[in-house]
Amino acid sequence: MGYPHQPHPRETLLLSKHFGDAEARTLDGWKKRGGYKALEMALGMEPVAIQNVVKESGLRGRGGAGFPTGLKWSFMKIGDGKPHYLCCNADESEPGTFKDREIMRWTPHALIEGVALGAYAIGAETAYIYIRGEITEPLAVMEAALVEARAAGIIGPNAMGSGKTVNVWVHKGAGAYICGEETALMNSLEGKRGNPRIKPPFPAVAGVFGKPTTINNVETLAAVPHILVNGADWYKKFARPDNPKSTGTKLWSVCGNIARPGNYEVEMGFPFGEFLHEVCGGALPGRTLKAIIPGGSSVPIITLEEAERGFMDYEGMVAVGTMLGSAGCIVIDSAQSMPKQIARLARFYAHESCAQCTQCREGTAWTTKILERMVAGDGTAEDFDTLLEIAENMTGKTICVLSDSCATPVISGIQKFRHEFEALITRKTVHVVPTVVA
Amino acid sequence: MSHGPSAAGGALIKPSNGHERAPHEPVFVGEARARLDELITRYPSKQAVLLPALWMLQEARGWVSEDGMAEVGALLDLTPAYVKGVVTFYTMYHQHPVGKYFIQVCTTSPCNVCGAEEVVKAFLDGTGCGELGVTSDDGRFTVIEVECLGACGFATPVMVNSDFLESIMPDGVPDVLARYQ
Amino acid sequence: MAETPLVNLTIEGRPVTVAAGTTILEAAKTAGVLIPHYCYHPGLPVAGVCRMCLVEVEKFPKLAPSCATAVGEGQVVHVHSEKAREARKGVLELLLINHPLDCPICDQSGECELQDYTYQEGRKDSRYREAKRFSPVDDFGGDVLYVQTRCILCTRCVRFMEDVAHDPVLNVSERGDRAYIGKFEGKDLTHPWAANVVDLCPVGALLSKDFLNKARAWELDRTASVCTGCSQGCNIIVETRDNTVMRLRPRSNESVNQFFMCDHGRGDYRWLNRRDRLESPSILGAGGHRIVEWEVALQAAARVLKGKRIFVLASPNLSNEALHLLSRVMQRSNGAGAYRVPQGEAAPLAGVPDLALRTDRAANGTGAQLLGFSRHASPLDLMQPGDALIVADAELTEQDAASLAKAGVVVVLGTAMPAHLPKADIVLPIANTVEEEGTLTNLRGRVQRFQQAKAAPGLARPSWFVLADLLGAMGEKAEFFQAHDVFAALAASTPAFAGLSYDTIGLRGLPVVDASQFAEASR
Repeated sequence: MGYPHQPHPRETLLLSKHFGDAEARTLDGWKKRGGYKALEMALGMEPVAIQNVVKESGLRGRGGAGFPTGLKWSFMKIGDGKPHYLCCNADESEPGTFKDREIMRWTPHALIEGVALGAYAIGAETAYIYIRGEITEPLAVMEAALVEARAAGIIGPNAMGSGKTVNVWVHKGAGAYICGEETALMNSLEGKRGNPRIKPPFPAVAGVFGKPTTINNVETLAAVPHILVNGADWYKKFARPDNPKSTGTKLWSVCGNIARPGNYEVEMGFPFGEFLHEVCGGALPGRTLKAIIPGGSSVPIITLEEAERGFMDYEGMVAVGTMLGSAGCIVIDSAQSMPKQIARLARFYAHESCAQCTQCREGTAWTTKILERMVAGDGTAEDFDTLLEIAENMTGKTICVLSDSCATPVISGIQKFRHEFEALITRKTVHVVPTVVA
Repeated sequence: MSHGPSAAGGALIKPSNGHERAPHEPVFVGEARARLDELITRYPSKQAVLLPALWMLQEARGWVSEDGMAEVGALLDLTPAYVKGVVTFYTMYHQHPVGKYFIQVCTTSPCNVCGAEEVVKAFLDGTGCGELGVTSDDGRFTVIEVECLGACGFATPVMVNSDFLESIMPDGVPDVLARYQ
Repeated sequence: MAETPLVNLTIEGRPVTVAAGTTILEAAKTAGVLIPHYCYHPGLPVAGVCRMCLVEVEKFPKLAPSCATAVGEGQVVHVHSEKAREARKGVLELLLINHPLDCPICDQSGECELQDYTYQEGRKDSRYREAKRFSPVDDFGGDVLYVQTRCILCTRCVRFMEDVAHDPVLNVSERGDRAYIGKFEGKDLTHPWAANVVDLCPVGALLSKDFLNKARAWELDRTASVCTGCSQGCNIIVETRDNTVMRLRPRSNESVNQFFMCDHGRGDYRWLNRRDRLESPSILGAGGHRIVEWEVALQAAARVLKGKRIFVLASPNLSNEALHLLSRVMQRSNGAGAYRVPQGEAAPLAGVPDLALRTDRAANGTGAQLLGFSRHASPLDLMQPGDALIVADAELTEQDAASLAKAGVVVVLGTAMPAHLPKADIVLPIANTVEEEGTLTNLRGRVQRFQQAKAAPGLARPSWFVLADLLGAMGEKAEFFQAHDVFAALAASTPAFAGLSYDTIGLRGLPVVDASQFAEASR
């Protein structure tokens, strides 16, 4: 972890090893720590060979979907005569998630190395790092590091003297959660509204500027140099013995009602119960943990009991009824009202809906209004059915999954904490339904 | 303009009377123009610098006026209506002038469970704004709630203009405000 | 070019074979299955946002938006399965939660796709208990009014202005449930084709100011016709109520105007309702014009024309049929005929090839040319002193006065008395374009039929009918009982029209022989 706390002995420090170490931000400091060896090595390899190492390592996308990175790269047809682009998704906006921010903030060159390497591996001469506009410090740190790297000839028209061109530019977002969706990010980069696009065509066929494009998360790209230097077999060892599908280390952002919030890097398959209680210090004094949203706000809410049975990898999270997502772990304790927090999450999605699809534009807003009415004490028993049916209409029917993401905490929240909603309804004294006839 | 109850508020920043109608001085002249032209070389399409250009506009003027949108549109071969559609999509572009210090307090769930609403209250009281999106009478402050600032482990994160502050508690608000006079 | 391979699939149990790349929505149309939709429009790029056209495709994990999903070999598509119907019902409920349901005062009522699909497959009640959104009405300029509360954000209007008109003055502003169709202050919908957004709007969000509160959709009678606003020949629907034209709307024809018509043509209907019409045949006598029976007037006309060289000043808006009979009238006397085409500024619709409001502001200049009339800026210059002049619904200008004095006798065949005409010996009132049937030949040589939408006033008769009778009175065998018969005679005697008939022309039109001479000059 490194910042703001000292690393926990049970962490496996790979990406977060230098968090909090200001010297690691500089080019010299980074080189001293072994930086840019992987890129130098990569630029002497065939792109397909790099793709194969990454494929073999089992690395999967760290942004949320968990798609195998090497496979994604192999969709890019090297030498097809078209310009290729790499977009690094640094629009980290999923509530609960703040890991990419720390990678950029403390180890900007780690990302530049990963981005340059990734660009070369997919036949791209230009890469854009799309950073959300709010995180001003990581933006400034990245810009400064890019200036250094460019001046040192690490990136540019003759990257590390290889004769290969790798340009890397930062593109600053302007406040839109949905731009973290890959096709929305491409539209935003093109100077458009950040509306997700219908697929097909997939980005590898027609992505940003209509050209073959790969989009990778910050953490994914930052992991690649380690894989290249240490080998796929080394990386694969970071896994549960009985689950080879999730490999490597994973940064977990932990926030909410927890003793030591922060970023923790653990091996895939780390026991979730031990992680919460031991590594993160468990509940705040005098409180008890109640609910966990382990993968960023878009994944199903689970109870503490469910979490304690879980293992921290893609499959392990599915096994306890949720998802690894972006590994932005929101911890909620007994002092909180679940209906209130679920309403707050719905409001987030209502605010962030791009407005394209009917179910999302109207559904997120309606869901929010019902939940806020229930929280205000004006709920009725019928509201449960309505909420669940709206949620059903919002699931699997839209261009992107923002709508599904709003429905998920509603469905799982009602399922697991229905009693809290019911208490709101029975406790109320006077019930006034606005006489609006729709 | 959207009216009536929206699930997630209407415009975050309330329009105020005053200098919105002041004549527009072009922003993209001299160095700024050269900077924009350099940015254009980074992309295969001119339109790609729309967001960066709007950022430059806002940095120069404090907000993004309709005249400013028209100026950017003319430079990038986009109609002002198109530019406006883009501007209104992104919440960080101010469509109205804001206070000298623009304060954004994250209140999304991870911060919410850590007491972010109390932090908002402390800022509204401490600045004299009283209400979200309204600029204080002295023109110094505008406070808004913002959706997830992506620093959930540092609840409550607060942005004052481009300064990113971490782990702000209600009782720390006066100290923060003392730094922005 | 290689032939597009065909794909076989099953839609609602019906076997369908279409070209690869066709969307499920379009493929379903060929099987007679209408998949409900809002944002999709065949004349616009696909948006896929309303999610109304979701269908169930066997072996697909999720419902598919049929507007954005290409057909696949062996696909089995269910449009009306429970899963698909429930999904669309959900979309309808969501579209209605903030909709004002002010159908009784909404112009779109009766032709509203929100009404239609809700009637077809919507819920019978609403579960919405919250306050509705409200927004004021916005004047978008041009002929367009925006009623935001009714808007379903299908973005057809935005895509039309951006991708078809190439003038993106509309946008989607804001996001989430705050989103609305916006424009920039001072930049109005003044594009010469902008009013198409009103037709494209599936609900009552974009309305025509001209048509506002004038008629209910179900009171209107609709007739297939052709626009006479210029030589493009856009296919239109004439909508009438109580013998009055209420509005003109485009009728789709891929070969001419796709789905659109320009604002000039759309607004060019008031003359069709004008009240100062010629309603009775009359003869100029000592005490002025005397109304007479048709038979008397026709005989009188035949008499005054007899022995004289006949010169016809024809309107280039007259039908091919009328022009054919007129040319026969002039041929009898070795006479001549000419026409003048009013001019205006061209206004192309950038996104559609060869579609524009043309500089020639008349519908049948091509027909007139093919039927032996000369185009001339001062057509009366071609008249010889002493000629008998037939003014066939043509307009006259002040400059024509000197030439008019040369005419031996003047017969007016028209809808209204022409201005600047000192005297008319005989007046024969005719029907206007929407009061009769006929054909017009557009600038590309396409012959297109128009049908009768309303009755002619008084004793006015269809132009072909009057001219057939006149030819008869002049001693020619011209027994025509329908416009159809006139066209058959025209086709038999005019090489350019050889082989054409009303049946083959249908409602989409057909090109004349050698129409390539009229093709757009290569750019």
